[in-house]
Amino acid sequence: MNEALTLLSSKEEAKVLAGGQSLVTLMKLRLAAPKALIDINGITELAHIHEEGGVITVGALTRYDQLAESSLIREKVPLLAEAASMVADQQVRNRGTIGGSLAHADPSADLPTACTAADAKIVTMSLNGSRSIEMSDFFRDYFITALREDEIVKEVRIPIPPQRSGSAYLKLTRGHNDFAIVSVATQLTVDNNHLCEAVNVVFGGVAPTPLHAKETERLLKNRKPDENLLNEAAQVAANGLSPTSDIRASADYKLEMAKVLTKRALKTSLDRAMGSV
Amino acid sequence: MLLVDFLRDELGLTGTHIGCDTGHCGACTVLMNGVTVKSCLLLAAQANNADIQTIEGLAVENELHPIQEAFLEQNALQCGYCTPGMILSSLFLLQRNPNPSDEEIKRGIDGNLCRCTGYLNIVKAVKAATVKMKRTGT
Repeated sequence: MNEALTLLSSKEEAKVLAGGQSLVTLMKLRLAAPKALIDINGITELAHIHEEGGVITVGALTRYDQLAESSLIREKVPLLAEAASMVADQQVRNRGTIGGSLAHADPSADLPTACTAADAKIVTMSLNGSRSIEMSDFFRDYFITALREDEIVKEVRIPIPPQRSGSAYLKLTRGHNDFAIVSVATQLTVDNNHLCEAVNVVFGGVAPTPLHAKETERLLKNRKPDENLLNEAAQVAANGLSPTSDIRASADYKLEMAKVLTKRALKTSLDRAMGSV
Repeated sequence: MLLVDFLRDELGLTGTHIGCDTGHCGACTVLMNGVTVKSCLLLAAQANNADIQTIEGLAVENELHPIQEAFLEQNALQCGYCTPGMILSSLFLLQRNPNPSDEEIKRGIDGNLCRCTGYLNIVKAVKAATVKMKRTGT
């Protein structure tokens, strides 16, 4: 790790190469042309999944496939496993990494949205030490994060949701597991009286970064999520969103689908939360 | 140099194909340390010390692998361009899940595009291969 960090600090226009599923593609399209590539795939201490003190820690080099197949992740932070299982295709999942996905920060990608809804924190490292960054502070714009030029993502920490929690990750795509036209990641916890005590609803594909549906979250908090409330919550999900029309879909379509997906994801999350009683 | 170029140009193993050059089509799929990867998204240097299996390594002497047999029998190829990658992806799928449903097969090979067959015969071939492999214990 030290060697990688030293190289990163000293080489001009160097990029870190992990899974390469995004970076090498960009290079082939001539959209990225780093002067140097620092291949970190050999840094084995960056590939691990473990649980400690109510938090799951995932090393940056953990591949999507490992996340999707890990029984620990499927059991304790299922939102992450669900999102990871829906990335691209098997070949990409065999190679692409969580650190790379977050550092690349494509708002139509799956892990940035899911990790935001899971209240994850990113731990980064540089020669000066390490720091922990909240998801909400990490994504700044399309493909731009709070990562400094001399920093590498070290690990991601995801708090294990309490009992009576449920989550869902849904994405609307043209083909199997394309990048999302619109995606939504939800995670909620209900209390003894079936009131919503915590809820996160985060969109992908509708803004330069993953975006909380703040009005939806506000509407649901401390209330009993019955059919009517869920409908209401879904309706306001699109408030404050101004997606761009792009190659995948028009802005209007994205707004409409955001509402539909929100309803479905909330319903599924709720069913899962109740089912875990 | 990309791994696919190294395999094809330096090693002369032209069974691995370049379909799109942008990491989408899967024609360049090989097995690296037992898992399928798109060799056009790997630098050759990254394969240092790795175990690489290409389509050329599937048949044993003159005996086709059950998956290759099934592809032939089920007419799961026409031009053959996607076939090496398709077969290796199928192999990885069946190693993990020896009894996949049709839906699981489709998801398992969705990293490999075919412009000729419309995929139906490919799915049939993978299904047929599961039976063969069970019989031979592959």
